[in-house]
Amino acid sequence: MADKRITIQATRYDPDKDERPRLQSYEIPFSDDSMVVLDALNYIKSEVDGSLSYRWSCRMGICGSCGMMVNGTPKLTCNAFLRDYWPRPVVVEPLNNFPVIRDLVIDMDDFMHKLKAIKPWIIRRQEIPLGAGEHRQTNEQIDDFRQFSQCINCMLCYAACPVYGLNNEFLGPAAIALARRYNLDSRDQGLKQRLPVIADNEGVWECSFVGECSVVCPKGVDPAKAIQQTKLETTMRFVLPYGNRD
Amino acid sequence: MTNEAQAAPREYRWRMPANWWTRNRHYFLYVVREFTVVPIALWLLWLLVEIKRAGDGPARYSPHGSAAFVVFSVITLVFALYHSYTFLSLAGVIIHFKVLDRPLPSRLIVLAQFALWAVASVVVGFVLIWFAR
Repeated sequence: MADKRITIQATRYDPDKDERPRLQSYEIPFSDDSMVVLDALNYIKSEVDGSLSYRWSCRMGICGSCGMMVNGTPKLTCNAFLRDYWPRPVVVEPLNNFPVIRDLVIDMDDFMHKLKAIKPWIIRRQEIPLGAGEHRQTNEQIDDFRQFSQCINCMLCYAACPVYGLNNEFLGPAAIALARRYNLDSRDQGLKQRLPVIADNEGVWECSFVGECSVVCPKGVDPAKAIQQTKLETTMRFVLPYGNRD
Repeated sequence: MTNEAQAAPREYRWRMPANWWTRNRHYFLYVVREFTVVPIALWLLWLLVEIKRAGDGPARYSPHGSAAFVVFSVITLVFALYHSYTFLSLAGVIIHFKVLDRPLPSRLIVLAQFALWAVASVVVGFVLIWFAR
């Protein structure tokens, strides 16, 4: 067990020196079956090559910052076990569909702008004073939006989405899933403020239902469902009499 | 050039490879699903031509029955069945019905759609055979 080793091929890109990203191989000890790809990267950084750059934080699938392509599939590297790949080499690349800043670090500004555009917070026409007490919800009302609220903004769904890869004007899976999360919340009254963004040409209508966003989501969110349901709902609002009500 | 522009890092811009749809089974099946509408659309266009000819009277009506067209029709039928199957399966994900404040399971919605599809096929088949006698 002590002699077991695994090859990690990690993307290296120095914007001051390299024209394009390249793969660099590292052979490291695979000492423990509970090792994940993030552990391997941390080993490389601390023991082999301190210049390797990548994002990570919580190491427990909550913060969503360690998303990378692992053997071509978008994964949280803290949740990708080396035992599932050994003895084959593990290729770790930055998330597809995003500009690369350095090594495994992508530029997430585009996603952040899109996230802000859908106003992912509860919007009220008139705030309820604190003294009026809490805004209560039934279990059924919570069930309506609960799964969409599990999104951790890891952007794996954007890396899996060929529509976003071909046209990065597309609002994208996570932003639309979060918009649906708030539109379904019985406390929210912000649908009309979000509609111009989500019902735009580059909103839900750009999606052609590949469905891979839902396959790769590490939290079991179904963005493809959120997008198609939003298509149906916006159409019904347009078609039905009095459909454009609040 | 401003100091900010000078300081801006040079990023590597991601480009989608032309063969992206061959890299993943789901992408491949998605492209096949989208492609199936091309032969279906061509076959339906030909059907419109046949209907127009039939409307012009028996003298002008000569249905296309070559072996190549029969093969094309069979392939189109397979594509139409595949497209219908994927459409009805996915539609179960989209449709959101509530009965007594409880959401209907997707599986039930999908099964209901396949049942309706079967009934509609039987009715259409019956009408076509009945009027063709």
